[in-house]
Amino acid sequence: MEKSSTEKEGKIWAIGGGKGGTGKTFITSAIGTYIAGKGKRVVLIDVDIGGANLHSFLGINRPKKSLTDFFETGASLSKLAVKTGIDNMSLISGDIHSLASDSIKFTQKLKLFRHIMKLNKNYVIIDLGGGSHNNTIDTFLMADKRVVILEPEITSVENMYHFIKNALFRKLRMSLREYGFKEIVEQMWERRQEYKIKSLRELMDHIRDSFSYVGDIIDKELSDFKLYLILNKIRSSDDILIGSSMKSIFKKYLCVDTRFVGFVEYDDSVWRSIRERRPFMLNYSLSRSAKEVEVFTENLLNGKEIKLSRS
Amino acid sequence: MSRRNLKKHFEILELDSDASLPEIKNAYVRLKKLYSTDSMVMTPIADEFSKKKRLEVLKQIEEAHAKLSDELKDEHQRSANLGKPGIASGNGTEGEEAESVSFSGEVLRKIREKKGIHLYEVALDTKIRVEILENIEHERFDVLPQEVYLKGHVSNYARYLLLDPRKVADDYISRYKDWKGEAKEKD
Repeated sequence: MEKSSTEKEGKIWAIGGGKGGTGKTFITSAIGTYIAGKGKRVVLIDVDIGGANLHSFLGINRPKKSLTDFFETGASLSKLAVKTGIDNMSLISGDIHSLASDSIKFTQKLKLFRHIMKLNKNYVIIDLGGGSHNNTIDTFLMADKRVVILEPEITSVENMYHFIKNALFRKLRMSLREYGFKEIVEQMWERRQEYKIKSLRELMDHIRDSFSYVGDIIDKELSDFKLYLILNKIRSSDDILIGSSMKSIFKKYLCVDTRFVGFVEYDDSVWRSIRERRPFMLNYSLSRSAKEVEVFTENLLNGKEIKLSRS
Repeated sequence: MSRRNLKKHFEILELDSDASLPEIKNAYVRLKKLYSTDSMVMTPIADEFSKKKRLEVLKQIEEAHAKLSDELKDEHQRSANLGKPGIASGNGTEGEEAESVSFSGEVLRKIREKKGIHLYEVALDTKIRVEILENIEHERFDVLPQEVYLKGHVSNYARYLLLDPRKVADDYISRYKDWKGEAKEKD
């Protein structure tokens, strides 16, 4: 497998996956705490609209300032970052309820990303929250590393599949528009019954067959669209197989490459930590789940997959 | 046929083209299970995945596995004949074992484990029930089937492990006969 430099350097990570409650916020806080503990400068950004509670996982109060100030008054991001009580790690709240989230224009999002990239940090970890809103998908698409959190439940599987499918569709549409082929995807998708196109995969194959030059663009976009999968709240070792299966389905039906980086078992000490207002990774640093977090965070940092004795 | 020409088959099993035989086996078992059962992971694509599609996909997987294990077994044997280490390194000792070792259930189990193959995989391919395989490995002669059937099972299992079926069956059956003799004496 070729390793592009952006993959190793990947500074901006987005943690998403469609369904709410799969543990995105927990995993964001745990990854951040672990990397900060290695002496890297980390900032967490909470953009979980309507459910921003990353601060609770760190045992601190809700920050008073948020990205709303960035969008409305042009406050600099570094002014919005608050201390988390953990060395090397700060938090920016994305609480943007006061602003109708639909009114954030695409250019504003680009501006936000330009500022995020300029932050003097080694890693920026964004907690996307649930749902497949365009804002969420755009943030997901702009990140260097796209991490998705899956729970071994049918609802989580379904929501994640649709989240990825929507994200991929949006990415293809945007990049083809850049090349001036916007209509091709849309027209074909609208007339999909006529063409007997049932899936995104079939749509892509169809476009490739009809316009070979567009096929090249699609192939490039697909090879750039890498996913990192984490399985959360597993209750038996059999559940681990769901990670490998999801990877197979993404490849076969969406042509997307996935790295299955690891899993965390279901652990009551996660909510106990929130109640005790102490970060899990510090409070239960010797627990099995903390070790599992360390394993997949190292894999994320190095772009590696989890080693399963039997995959 | 070189590994390069087998690319399509490796891709179907989601493997790189330098995968070893046990890796091929593992991928085959995993994918076959995924597409033949109603895994929760299949729910989002239930609409696209008709019965016909399912059969198609399973057929591809079967073909890829058959083709690859066939080709690579040859490759493995060729390199063994040349005295070079086999592609799946660590498996190259079977030749020596075949000459010096008497095949007991224990030896079969060790060879299987060294290859990283699970009993249920053996069962899937040889159509021998897992319990029987387990009893063969543990030499629970009292619950194993009669000699003729047992001999058949043991040679099939040996063939699966790329061992000489006749030698293995002879060794194993002679142990079985020893036990039978002893059992009789006790009566």
